[in-house]
Amino acid sequence: MSRVWLAPARLFVFLVMLFQPVLVSALDVPPLTGRIVDLAHVLPADDSDQLTAQLKVHEDKTGNQVAVLIIPSLEGESVEEYAHRVATTWKLGQKGTDNGVLLLIALKERKLRIEVGYGLEGTLTDLRSAHIIRNEIVPQFRNGDIPGGVRAGTLAILQMIEGTYQAKEPPSDRMRSKHGTSAFQYVVIGIFVGFLAGLVLSQGLRRARALLGAVLTFMVAQLASIPLGLIAAGFTALLLWMVLGATRGRRRGTGLDDWAWYSSRGGGWSGGSFDSGSFSGGGGDFGGGGASGDW
Amino acid sequence: MGRVQMILIGLLMTGSLWGCGYNDLQGLDEDTKAAWSEVVNQYQRRADLIPNLVQTVKGYAAHEKDTLEGVVQARAQATGIQVTPEMLKDPAAFEQFQKAQAGLTSALGRLIAIAENYPNLKADQNFRDLQSQLEGTENRITVARKRYIDRVAEYNKMVRYFPTNMTAKLILHLEEKPNFTVADEKAVAKPPEVKFN
Repeated sequence: MSRVWLAPARLFVFLVMLFQPVLVSALDVPPLTGRIVDLAHVLPADDSDQLTAQLKVHEDKTGNQVAVLIIPSLEGESVEEYAHRVATTWKLGQKGTDNGVLLLIALKERKLRIEVGYGLEGTLTDLRSAHIIRNEIVPQFRNGDIPGGVRAGTLAILQMIEGTYQAKEPPSDRMRSKHGTSAFQYVVIGIFVGFLAGLVLSQGLRRARALLGAVLTFMVAQLASIPLGLIAAGFTALLLWMVLGATRGRRRGTGLDDWAWYSSRGGGWSGGSFDSGSFSGGGGDFGGGGASGDW
Repeated sequence: MGRVQMILIGLLMTGSLWGCGYNDLQGLDEDTKAAWSEVVNQYQRRADLIPNLVQTVKGYAAHEKDTLEGVVQARAQATGIQVTPEMLKDPAAFEQFQKAQAGLTSALGRLIAIAENYPNLKADQNFRDLQSQLEGTENRITVARKRYIDRVAEYNKMVRYFPTNMTAKLILHLEEKPNFTVADEKAVAKPPEVKFN
């Protein structure tokens, strides 16, 4: 019986995953595969590994997230626009302190940009970014030494922003959402609705189906926007209750133990960590600070 | 049985209250104001850079009087407009602000363009620094404007869509807010040509 419900649920999850990363622009933001994303394959592995290690040490100490992206071509997009898009998509820097920096290099156009997060604009000003580009990176690039320029530039950035922040305890809440607070709201509402659905359904239904109902309503609440999510979840709960209510009464009892079990299940689902051990942005934001240059 | 129904009805009522968008409208209204402040803030930053820039250019190209005065005048016009949150309720004032800033943008563009003719000016460290700062500020303005545009679009949708438009009109008395127009955006968002070599 529960299989009948499982198929639409799977389809739903699949569709959500399918439509989530919809990008409008021509030049896609590459996935954040590491602190150094070298799509043009110009950095020797040694250099890349060494720099990555330095960037990691720096982040562990200060919380600042610095990333490097080297692309073959901008494909007509402006370096400022693209850098901002990449930086905000990757969400470099910690949430709240916005201490991320992106060094973007486009080989074909011979353009580069240092994009600076809100929280570092005071230390790594537009002017200092321009100086790093002008004095550390461009001379080496002009000599054809791309790895040398990247290394010098990155180290100069690290030196500049060293000491602006102290690393905080790693954030326990890894939920990602467009607005910071609503992630929490999603969870609260989701748990509440799942809880309620569990209560209703557990009053006489088989455990499996009740759990499924709870999970379904929770997903609805999670994925729609807040007020809509709540209404939808409410209706779903009502609908489930009306459709399935006819068969209730088979089992007596308060179902309180089931209750706790469902709700804890709902909570576990929402709090699941998406941290796969690799590098990921901490939720920082960018307001267009930094500097561009060419060589 | 009765208790469960009561809970559900209570939930639905709460849900419909949330659905009227009262909180969302209030939140978006604040968001647009914050986004607007950021736009104004960045324009102000640009205005603050100008006296220094004009002074530096004067040192090398004092006889480019028209261009220099054009910038000074455009700046005076742009900073002369009193910026208030009420401006967002008044499309005419908003338009005026936009026009003044656009005027300053094009005056600055001309100033940077004439710098191309003065190799000594172009090589001046101070001038290069000011150029970098100006370029950075123009970029921040672009970002701030884009954020404002997005926020206002979101807000305006809520003000117009049913049923949240009822809440907006009857309870909160909120109106649509003016947004930057595309044609104007092209003129204003175009940073002055700045070359490093």
